[in-house]
Amino acid sequence: MESHRPYGYAGQILRVDLTHERIWTQPVTSQEYREYLGGVGIGTKILYEEVPPDVHWDHPENRLILATGPLAGLPVWGTGGLTVVTRGAMTDGATSTQANGFFGANLKYSGYDAIVFQGQATRWVYLYIKDDLVELRDASHLLGKDTWEMQDALSSEHSLSGHQMSVYGIGPAGENLVRFAVIAGDYGHVASKNGCGAVMGQKKVKAVAIVRGSKGVRAADVRGLYQAADEIAHELQTDPSTRSLYEYGTLPGVVNLLGLGVLPIKNYTTNLKPEGADMSLWEAPALRNGFDHRGHQCSACGMHHCHMQVLPSGPHKGQIVDEPEYEGWSGAGWAIGLTDRVAVSWMNTQVDRAGVDVNEFGWLIGWVMECLEKGYITKEQLGGLEVRWGDAEAANQLLQLIAQRQHLGDLLAEGVKRASERLGGPAAECAIYTMKGATPRGHDHRGRWEEMLDTCTGSTGTLEAGAAVKPQEMGLPARINPFDPDAVAKMVGSLQGRRHFEDSLGTCIFTTRTTIENLCRALNAATGWDYTVEEALRFGRRTSALLRTFNIRCGIGPELEKPSKRYGSVPVDGPAAGIAIEPHWEHMLDVWYETVRYDRKTGLPKPELLRDLGLQHLIPELWGQEVPSHAV
Amino acid sequence: MPSEAGREVALAQTTGHVQIDTVAWVTRFVGGNGSDRISFELAIEPGDTVRTVLRRLSERFPQLQYALWDAESGELGEHIEVVVNGAVLGVRHGLDSELKAGDRILLFGQYMGG
Repeated sequence: MESHRPYGYAGQILRVDLTHERIWTQPVTSQEYREYLGGVGIGTKILYEEVPPDVHWDHPENRLILATGPLAGLPVWGTGGLTVVTRGAMTDGATSTQANGFFGANLKYSGYDAIVFQGQATRWVYLYIKDDLVELRDASHLLGKDTWEMQDALSSEHSLSGHQMSVYGIGPAGENLVRFAVIAGDYGHVASKNGCGAVMGQKKVKAVAIVRGSKGVRAADVRGLYQAADEIAHELQTDPSTRSLYEYGTLPGVVNLLGLGVLPIKNYTTNLKPEGADMSLWEAPALRNGFDHRGHQCSACGMHHCHMQVLPSGPHKGQIVDEPEYEGWSGAGWAIGLTDRVAVSWMNTQVDRAGVDVNEFGWLIGWVMECLEKGYITKEQLGGLEVRWGDAEAANQLLQLIAQRQHLGDLLAEGVKRASERLGGPAAECAIYTMKGATPRGHDHRGRWEEMLDTCTGSTGTLEAGAAVKPQEMGLPARINPFDPDAVAKMVGSLQGRRHFEDSLGTCIFTTRTTIENLCRALNAATGWDYTVEEALRFGRRTSALLRTFNIRCGIGPELEKPSKRYGSVPVDGPAAGIAIEPHWEHMLDVWYETVRYDRKTGLPKPELLRDLGLQHLIPELWGQEVPSHAV
Repeated sequence: MPSEAGREVALAQTTGHVQIDTVAWVTRFVGGNGSDRISFELAIEPGDTVRTVLRRLSERFPQLQYALWDAESGELGEHIEVVVNGAVLGVRHGLDSELKAGDRILLFGQYMGG
């Protein structure tokens, strides 16, 4: 039946009912794919249609969607990606979070564009996929294993390693429903946001193991696809910004963001490096070459980004770990006062192995360390643990207590928002989170207002619009004053849609740092369509509007769109010292709402926007027969 | 490029110097290897601003010129971040703020990604 498959797609979605252990395929036509693409696009459609408001994150009928996209498995760089869409545990709202490795390519080669889990298993299982052989298998022997041990065990069991079999699953944290548990795989890749690992744990799915299938993926215009892939690769290698990404991935982040006051240090208590710290050791070449290292590329990727490294010294000398991304260096390091590179690298992999989000880990452990220092939490409450700034071993002990939900770890497993609210008093005032419950990324957003606004207004459990990539293509300025409230809000609102398009292609965010036009060229060559930049943005904004509507339906409204007290506080030192976002916050929301054409009062997309996006069928449901004047 | 005569006049009117540090990746655009820093001391004249001084430096290095400025608008592009006297551009200085002797500018590469 190969000739019936739409170009660029496997042409079907794998549906898994865990309650009844029933598995079937759902065919999808080329026309449907054109409308919903893949990744967050197709995931949002399923989430919106199949998860009603009373189905909370831990309800069996919640959906867990692991979706790839039309470029996955094709020769564009970084096309092994997957997007996880679900109703997540942190916000109890929509989630879109990405990871790479080989999952997307292997899934496509086995003949599926996405996996949708529903129901809840009565025993621990893992999903095994090898072409048409799809089975729920007993996972009792995998219980308690961390994410790397789990992959080792499955690789050994099936005698397949590396890209021959992609494994994504949960660690002990996911098994124990830690709210910020992740879905991690392929040694070091993580779908990290909004507690998607807790959803997987609630469903009693330990892992998904996909053997690299044998079905291939057809492209409509093979020559055109290679040309587009080459063009994108050339740009990644030569563009002034992406050149460093090409050579060193996200390693330049530490030095650059320290210089901008955007590196979070010791739970936002300072933006200055410790006295005597030698920052030359933190420059990208020094970070890379400070360890024996080896490339650990994802499917079809030519970037010198992902690496494995060997710890050269310290108590864990000789261990092989994943070279931390910038957010690993910040969350498992600077945010908790840890600036020993070897210790941070070890800590980062411990976090991935336990299976929790490294950003939330940083905010949570940093908060505990600050509270302990200030006497808001006692050593006794921590079961005798002295968790002082920069103490990696103690931080790891606390991590294990959290992953097992033991002692105070049970409360901390709820994430820093809920833990700090429960403790109350001055402790509540030094926790970093959004009022929706989402985890901010590993930056100090007090020096990066765009991302604070994006995180607080976003409907995905993390940044939604994302960073400006070639904004001139969208008619936006190349650069704005980062502290101009109007310019920031307009920029964040205007960027909306691009990220949703990228996250629907089955690609990596780092290999789509090119024009939308280039991405459309690749998409069109793969599928035979004639997607334009306008259609791509319209698609993205439609997806965003659906995610928002889903969240409003779940009770997550505009009143929650603000930072916690510490998150929105004023930096006391460093390059952004004295800059306060709080006085401008409401005005920024006004401008943002006007830009995205959502109703400021209800938070909903306005009827006119819904019509423009082809979502007019939602108007009666959302607005009734008479649209109120504020929404016109 | 100013003529030699013009340069002499400019030097005669010099009110002091500012230092521009290119840091880490940005050193690639001024002949470095992408690590540490390369510093420049530039004479300033009355009325010199962050913009005019950066223009003067970037005119000497085509790669920096390309990376620093947006070709269409002539304003700062998206690739390089500017810090003046330890504060991000926008905190105390804008692109057209006047500089005084002893001021210090740092140029960082734009950071992309998580």
